[in-house]
Amino acid sequence: MSLDHTDPSAAAPLVPLHCLRAAEAGPPTLTELMTGTPVWWVRRHADVRQVLTDPRLNRVDLFAPDAPAITAYPNILDDPDTILNIDGADHQRLRRTVQRAFTPRAIERWRPWVASVVDDLVDSLAGAEQPVELVAAFTRPLPVVVISRLMGLDGLDLKRLSHWSDHALSASAYTPQAVQEAMLDFGMFGAQLMAERRRNPGEDLVSSLVKAADEDGEVTELQIIKLIIGLVVAGHETTMTTLGNGLVFLLTEARQAWQELAGDEQRAATVAEQLLRSVPLGDSTVSPGLLRRAVADVEIGGVLIPAGAVVAADSFAANHDPEVYPGDWRQGLLAPPSTPHLTFGAGPHHCLGAWLARMELELALHRLARRLPELRLAVPVEDIDWRRGLVTRSPQTLPVTW
Amino acid sequence: MSAEEVVVSVDQARCVGTGLCAATAPADLELGPDGRARPRRARTEALTEVTEAAELCPMEAIAVHLAATGEQLAPNW
Ligand code: HEM
Ligand code: HEM
Ligand code: SF4
Repeated sequence: MSLDHTDPSAAAPLVPLHCLRAAEAGPPTLTELMTGTPVWWVRRHADVRQVLTDPRLNRVDLFAPDAPAITAYPNILDDPDTILNIDGADHQRLRRTVQRAFTPRAIERWRPWVASVVDDLVDSLAGAEQPVELVAAFTRPLPVVVISRLMGLDGLDLKRLSHWSDHALSASAYTPQAVQEAMLDFGMFGAQLMAERRRNPGEDLVSSLVKAADEDGEVTELQIIKLIIGLVVAGHETTMTTLGNGLVFLLTEARQAWQELAGDEQRAATVAEQLLRSVPLGDSTVSPGLLRRAVADVEIGGVLIPAGAVVAADSFAANHDPEVYPGDWRQGLLAPPSTPHLTFGAGPHHCLGAWLARMELELALHRLARRLPELRLAVPVEDIDWRRGLVTRSPQTLPVTW
Repeated sequence: MSAEEVVVSVDQARCVGTGLCAATAPADLELGPDGRARPRRARTEALTEVTEAAELCPMEAIAVHLAATGEQLAPNW
């Protein structure tokens, strides 16, 4: 079995993400990354969960000197000081310095404030001349405004920020040198922020993170800086993508659910959770899943994976494993998933921002549906222009009327 | 039986296996071979550690109850 590496832009129009079919769950099979590196492709729910929780599989060894190439381009997510690429006790230490601020309860305290951000965006788009372009007016600004507020970055220059994130993972568009300069500049920004909040601590997330790390004493400065700048952007692309693709589905095929979303926040939360489970973030052309490397021989789903092998945990396939989620997901939007889905991963690197992302999605869908129950796409779904990243794909623009 | 004795429980269906609890209260919580957390002993007196673990858990999968009365001590929001 092999992934289709042909350039999708040469093919027929791209289908919306909710129309993609997950790979069938079966035992791990050998395929290739885009770089040609062999990779064990893991798809069953239980197996994916094992890959992400078993300490014999880790992130750090993906970047060891003897590791095969996993990406064709240097990018920010390969940085060894990034939380995602630290394992074991060092990772636990770093993670604990921020975990408190991201527990369900801690995030719940931000609800009124996140709701007011959503309401402001909905108010201004509902008052604008139709058609309104929903990506610029809603899905893109929401995660940026929310995290900026949590981190106390009210004066942040959004142009500078988008310059940094454009360079972060973009493959061929920039020279490696331009990418490096942008990341250095972003790092400087993080370093200044750290120094400033250390001197003048406030109630914001950066101040509490710096304080917790200083109290711990073993977290390195570089780790703090990379965590700060990681937090600034980790939720942008992912949250915007989930919301944009969810809206494409709801406004075309699931108009009934759109009406019901408006009813109450709890129902909106359930729909958001089912969309997170069911609709993938992208096309999986670069990698079939979240990557790990085996540091010892390990048996997964009855297959022996040798030490040193690269493993991809396909959460999209796992989230549609019929053993765990029987039936058509489209029919079950209004009932919570029976088993936790794996869109946020699992194990030590389970998404730090999961509860924040959930709250943003829930409130965004609820408030928009309540205000504009007749909302619909102003273009045929075939004409949607797609924004295609390395891992994600979401609408570039989403013109709507009501 | 000391009045301080508490019982720790884990809702394994919710647990996503971060291991944060085991790192926080290693005497009382561990990750099983199935990647889910479980208590290491029936009762404990390490209230500070297990409370911290219950409060840090990203899935709110851990509960701490007073052994004598069953009163829930953590998470106590
Ligand atoms: C729908 C939105 C989101 C999705 C689908 C998502 C998905 C993920 C996934 C799959 C991972 C684990 C990667 C792996 O194990 O290889 C992860 C990690 C992470 N996410 Fe998210 N994320 C989202 C939103 C956010 C937000 C809003 C934030 C920040 C506020 C955030 C911060 C992080 C951080 C810091 C990690 C690394 C955790 C660690 O290594 O300990 N994410 N995310
Ligand atoms: C703590 C550090 C970070 C974490 C945990 C994180 C996490 C993630 C995750 C989970 C995804 C979805 C892709 C996937 O599932 O593999 C993603 C995508 C993305 N992130 Fe991050 N991120 C971090 C830092 C950054 C930084 C520093 C930037 C930019 C300056 C950035 C920009 C992006 C972009 C542009 C995408 C879309 C990728 C594409 O489809 O091309 N991230 N991130
Ligand atoms: S902290 Fe919570 S989710 Fe993580 S291993 Fe412990 S019980 Fe499971």
